[in-house]
Amino acid sequence: MRELFLIGLLVGMLSLLPTPALAAAPLNVKVVPEPAQVSTVIGGRFVLTTEVTNTGPTPSGDILAHLNIASIEGSVYVDPEDWSASRSQQLSLKPGESRKLSWQIQAVNPGHFAAYVVVMPYGSEVAGNEGLVISPLVNVDVASRSTLTAGGALPVVVIVPLLLGLAVAGMFFRARRRGSVQ
Amino acid sequence: MTVQVAPQPAVGTSQDVRARAEGESGWLVVAEQECRDLWTSGRGLMLLFLFSVLLSAVTYLTSTNQALNFLEQRESVNLVLQFAVAVGVLATLVVSADGISGERERGTLETLLVTPVPRRSIIAGKLIAALSLWFATFLVSIPYVWVLAREVGILGQALVLGLCVGTLVAIGLGCIGLLISAACNSNKTSIAASIFLLLILFAPTQLPSGLPQGWFFEVLLRANPVASGLAYISSLLVEGHSWTQDLSFLITPLLTVIIAGGALILAGPRLVRLTRGENAG
Repeated sequence: MRELFLIGLLVGMLSLLPTPALAAAPLNVKVVPEPAQVSTVIGGRFVLTTEVTNTGPTPSGDILAHLNIASIEGSVYVDPEDWSASRSQQLSLKPGESRKLSWQIQAVNPGHFAAYVVVMPYGSEVAGNEGLVISPLVNVDVASRSTLTAGGALPVVVIVPLLLGLAVAGMFFRARRRGSVQ
Repeated sequence: MTVQVAPQPAVGTSQDVRARAEGESGWLVVAEQECRDLWTSGRGLMLLFLFSVLLSAVTYLTSTNQALNFLEQRESVNLVLQFAVAVGVLATLVVSADGISGERERGTLETLLVTPVPRRSIIAGKLIAALSLWFATFLVSIPYVWVLAREVGILGQALVLGLCVGTLVAIGLGCIGLLISAACNSNKTSIAASIFLLLILFAPTQLPSGLPQGWFFEVLLRANPVASGLAYISSLLVEGHSWTQDLSFLITPLLTVIIAGGALILAGPRLVRLTRGENAG
């Protein structure tokens, strides 16, 4: 009787312990970006398209596609928010269904960058241990440019204040001379 | 207006104003006299010189700064034009804020009031003189806008837009400046109140762009005649909207002209007066 009580107590205590999380089912999704390579100049705008396909036998449920950009050369600071104002898109796919997602991007730093899209489960039921699906990298080469040159603006920038400064000086000189004459 | 008394009878005397006012429209005489005071004293030219130095610095930065160079050239034109309009109209506000309180403080208002010029004409003349500074700053800004806009084909649009919106805002702020000036006994108070008003008008435009800009920001933007005028310029030059698409941005500048101008017309004769303890005595 005493053994039975101890066994019951042990089972009860074990049942109170947190159950280890079960591994979530992997996302059966494929992400293909297009184009694979982008060359632009600083300030240039381009559209990256990603085709997301549900390759599994069941509906994907709610999923989130998120665009990210990273510098892959040098130490260029990248703030992805500057590159694209809208970097997340929510969707759900039936088995075999594909959807094309467009990402509006503006290159705001010169250098070599990689853009990629991560697909993850979405919603309050996400446990946090689900796997991610990541697209292949898209190489983004951004050349620097100078849309405006100092040389073009320099004559105006110098001449206008110079002329006005001379006019002011002439007026004060004349007023002073008139005052001294009187 | 500096109405000089003997021993310099040639220019700007009350007799001169009186004699000419009898022959011409009073407001024209006052406007001419005020403009002469503003421009021949060197005050207007000095303000223009400082304005050109500021505009040169902004234009040079726009042309050379790598961080700004990623901007579309339209955005650079917009930046310089907005700067020119904002500083130009604010200079108008400061000059008009000196209009009546300055006369009181210098002791010349009494002399002006005894001329046969109606008080509304005095106000109109002073407003026109203050606006002459806005038109002069706009003329100075033309080469700067030209150097940036010539390659993108928006020079004409930028200049017409700057002139129309800037003139509307300048009239409104000029009227406000004159109202403040008429209500203040001291020139210092009038100028300080106007500068404080400038800060109030400019503070919302200086909020970091990263901050969430909800309905309250939209209300602040729309309620501010300077900011909403500049937003209209931006929507046409940068976003390529049509002239009529964002006309609602011009409601506040227009209302400012109507309300402040109406208040000046209605209350002007009572506001332009000597005050006890200053020169009445």
